[in-house]
Amino acid sequence: MLRTALAGLRAHLMRLLLTSVAIVLGVGFITGTFVLNDTMEAGVAERVTADAGKVDVVVLPKTGVLPEEVLDRVRALPGVTEAQGLVRGGAPVLGKDGKTAGDFPTTAVSVVSGRLDRTNVVTGAGPGEDDRAAVLDENTAKAQGFRVGDTITVLDHEQNPHDFRLVGLIDTGVDQELGFTGAVGFTTDTARRMTGVKGYAEIDVAGADARAVAAAVGGAYTVKTGAELADDLARAAGVENQMITLGLLMFGLVAMFVAALVISNTFTILVAQRTREMALLRCIGATRGQVFGSVLLESAAVGLLASVAGLIAGYGLASLAITVLAALDSPLPTDAQAALTPPTVVAGLAVGLVVTVGSAVLPARSATRVPPVAALRDHAGEPAFRVGLVRCGIAALFLVAGLGTTAAGVFVLEPGQQVSLVVVMAGGVLTFLAVLVLGPVLVRPLSAFVGWVPRRMFGVPGRLAVDNAARNPKRAATTTVALTIGVTLMTLISVVTASTRLSLTVKLDEQFPIDYLLAGQSRDAVVPRSVAEELRGRPELDSVAQIRQVTARVSGERLSVGTFEGPVEPYVVAGSMAGFGPGEAALSELTAKALGVRVGDSVAIETRRAGTASLRVTALLDGNQSTLPPVTVAQGPFDAYFGAVPDARVMVNVRDGVPLERARAMVDAAAAPYPDVRVSSSTEIRGQFDETLDMVLMIITGLLGLAILISLFGIANTLSLSVHERTRESALLRALGLTRSQLRRMLSVEALVLGLIGALVGVVLGVVFGWAAMRAMLDGAVMSVPVARIVLFVALAGVAGVLAAVLPARRAARASIVGSLTPT
Amino acid sequence: MTLTHTQAPPAVAARALTKVYGEGDARVHALRGVDVSFATGAFTAIMGPSGSGKSTLMHCLAGLDTATSGTVHIGDVELTGLGDRRLTQLRRERIGFVFQSFNLLPTLTAEQNIRLPLDIAARQADEALFDRVVDTVGLRDRLRHRPSELSGGQQQRVAVARALIGKPQVIFADEPTGNLDSRSGAEILSFLRTSVRELGQTIVMVTHDPVAASYADRVVFLRDGELVTEVAAPTPETVLDTLVRLEA
Repeated sequence: MLRTALAGLRAHLMRLLLTSVAIVLGVGFITGTFVLNDTMEAGVAERVTADAGKVDVVVLPKTGVLPEEVLDRVRALPGVTEAQGLVRGGAPVLGKDGKTAGDFPTTAVSVVSGRLDRTNVVTGAGPGEDDRAAVLDENTAKAQGFRVGDTITVLDHEQNPHDFRLVGLIDTGVDQELGFTGAVGFTTDTARRMTGVKGYAEIDVAGADARAVAAAVGGAYTVKTGAELADDLARAAGVENQMITLGLLMFGLVAMFVAALVISNTFTILVAQRTREMALLRCIGATRGQVFGSVLLESAAVGLLASVAGLIAGYGLASLAITVLAALDSPLPTDAQAALTPPTVVAGLAVGLVVTVGSAVLPARSATRVPPVAALRDHAGEPAFRVGLVRCGIAALFLVAGLGTTAAGVFVLEPGQQVSLVVVMAGGVLTFLAVLVLGPVLVRPLSAFVGWVPRRMFGVPGRLAVDNAARNPKRAATTTVALTIGVTLMTLISVVTASTRLSLTVKLDEQFPIDYLLAGQSRDAVVPRSVAEELRGRPELDSVAQIRQVTARVSGERLSVGTFEGPVEPYVVAGSMAGFGPGEAALSELTAKALGVRVGDSVAIETRRAGTASLRVTALLDGNQSTLPPVTVAQGPFDAYFGAVPDARVMVNVRDGVPLERARAMVDAAAAPYPDVRVSSSTEIRGQFDETLDMVLMIITGLLGLAILISLFGIANTLSLSVHERTRESALLRALGLTRSQLRRMLSVEALVLGLIGALVGVVLGVVFGWAAMRAMLDGAVMSVPVARIVLFVALAGVAGVLAAVLPARRAARASIVGSLTPT
Repeated sequence: MTLTHTQAPPAVAARALTKVYGEGDARVHALRGVDVSFATGAFTAIMGPSGSGKSTLMHCLAGLDTATSGTVHIGDVELTGLGDRRLTQLRRERIGFVFQSFNLLPTLTAEQNIRLPLDIAARQADEALFDRVVDTVGLRDRLRHRPSELSGGQQQRVAVARALIGKPQVIFADEPTGNLDSRSGAEILSFLRTSVRELGQTIVMVTHDPVAASYADRVVFLRDGELVTEVAAPTPETVLDTLVRLEA
């Protein structure tokens, strides 16, 4: 039987090659993900191991910082050759525009010299002992356009600017915090002076063992060996890598599922075509088991070969990704060599084999049902398809379960919870299974629907094509469902991103009904009150509102307590803010719930200057809409409690008719003297949202593209098999006067119809579940269906289908009429 | 023969037609210089033993296959040297086919199958002719059925109707009764005969069945790629005699 199986393989080489592409792509993607993950982990390991080798023992604070005297105690230990305290704290670097750079204040670190220096200087040198020198992380330097030799300005903890000579650029390595905020490095003294931090974030020790150090510093601090530190760092970095890996694997699984459908379809058709061959084998004495085995063996051989090709493709893909990431200066660790580890090889081969052989089981089973007498019959004929009651029953079951689950997730569970989203997604999967089962029943009406136009536009070829598309409903359904998966997910993502965009815009308009916002980088109150006072006098401006806030204990909880000056819409949902004054407080609904208070109850605020003040709650605010702090008090009492705190935010509205450029210039001028006061407009904030969303959409679309590509191979495969089956019909049509181009057009239209069916079902599912997911994810989500984009998806699916038909159609058109008509 | 030439131009004519398959040692001469013409409004049968080249001759005459040398005329159009597009158009407009294995499109109803050549050519059907043909072949109550719901004889009647509906200059029938029982076969042959008599249709039929050939006005015999003899006003007996002589 082995020889028969292999002979079958050779005979259908082209067809199986097409099938293999599906497996190669799927396995390649999964393997590539593993290789990428391994490489990044290896990169992390390389770095942390190198770092850990320099340090014997580290002392870390459990909370806060390590006081100076801990360092003194460590230094006094016998055997300690060197001990250094590392300073870490905020110190915003100013960009070339004189404003704080980046979205978060840069973190200042101390750079020590000697053997404990763990800073990775990539260009130039460290600051050494020079208190006027600084180093900057590569990414910040690149984003702000600084080069070694430039002068950079950094704000100290009192917002005073200091100039430094940039002497080097550093790589922040696996440090998540530094990668996030950016880093500026000074000598230890300068770092301490700039950050105002009294103490150390970490003490590195050389020449002592951990036990002695632990004994010396006492139990209030964590003591680790260098190796332990390396493990911790690697683990922290690994979490991020694992998230990326998991995300990529999800897409890999989708691709493999699509590939499974394509493979299953191919084997079904191959078995159908070889009915006579199978029957002949049975005639000459092969058992059902042997026939079953020969089909499975064939699939195993295909699966193995394709998986090996997939491994190679995956390795290439990962190497390419690493090269690209490295070239883009991505913060991911990309310096290790890409490597195919044994677990990756095993996983790749296993996935490819299992999926291929698994997909071939059903077709192989139907091969065993071929009766020996079929070898003697002339033509097996097309399998008749009847809408079975069992099929409809199962589909109905799935559909009810799926829609019910989805409805529960949308209407019963509270929106915004993770569980709601999971429930909705589960409902989506169940509904999809219903569609999968129901597919063959849906194909005929759907092809009549999408075929309405081609039937009328393309004359006889169009009519025949639409009929042909639904001729074998099972095959057509499997072919199109493969495409449906990709289109569903793409549509879903489009709907979710478009709705998120719209929801955020609506919220933004409600919360941010202002033209300009003046605020610091973080939530710190940094805008001097004089700025708002100066702006308030300007005739070009319609309104200027100030928000100030501090963190204080309110009935035991640490909360933001603040006040406002100028016109601010409070969005009162209970009580009233009329005559809001001393002794009164307004709470956001959520805060009131957390504190367990209602309108009329009182809360105790620990103030800085007036002891504990007891305030009566007079109003509850809609926290989703209101810009006021969670705990708001009147302006006079706030100053009495906390002193003359600067504004956290100043919101400016321009008077109608004033050119925006002029207003902007004026607001900029008012903020210019204060480097850490940044001016943003609602348009800019929206632009940032849009950019982020576009980026997400682009990446996900790109990854889903793989699933779509595989399903297109499926369409090409099905078509070429149909062409093969209908060789005689095509020849007849040619004899009756159909031109070659009409025959090609007929097949193109058939592919177009298949593509459109797949896309249409996908769009419906995608829109419905995009809506459901959105409802589950975000309370008060506003729906938006990106019609243009979805129409584009459908059109592209149609075009792609037509492209998939190019080769099969060419083959059909080239076939000789006489050769095809003569019965063989 | 000479009379036919001067009175009306033949529907189909071949001159010095040769067809060679393969290369070198594998060369097979399927046709070795065949000169033949088929009169308009006549029913002609082509006979010959297996491998005599009768199917090849028909394929070349119908523009389905290209001859190695020689010429073929359908009416006043010379086929030899025509490109695929022109050949296709010619088939559409001037030629009808009836095949041994019916060759209907399974997705179309009987009526749609009958009208298919006109639809392909985007021509209006002659409804009077359609009715007449449908009634002649007795398919009136079967028009909405698909091929899978029809018997072999009925399917072949659809195929005959399909060939007649476009009023082609010539119908080529390739063993039209080969897959039918004798009664259905006789029916089909009568329809062909009737269409020649009543509609003036020209028919060229390839067959190996002397009884089928006896329905024709004239039978031409091929052997080893050459036209060897012909019988006018054939009966099954005269055809069989000629065949036996040829085989000998």
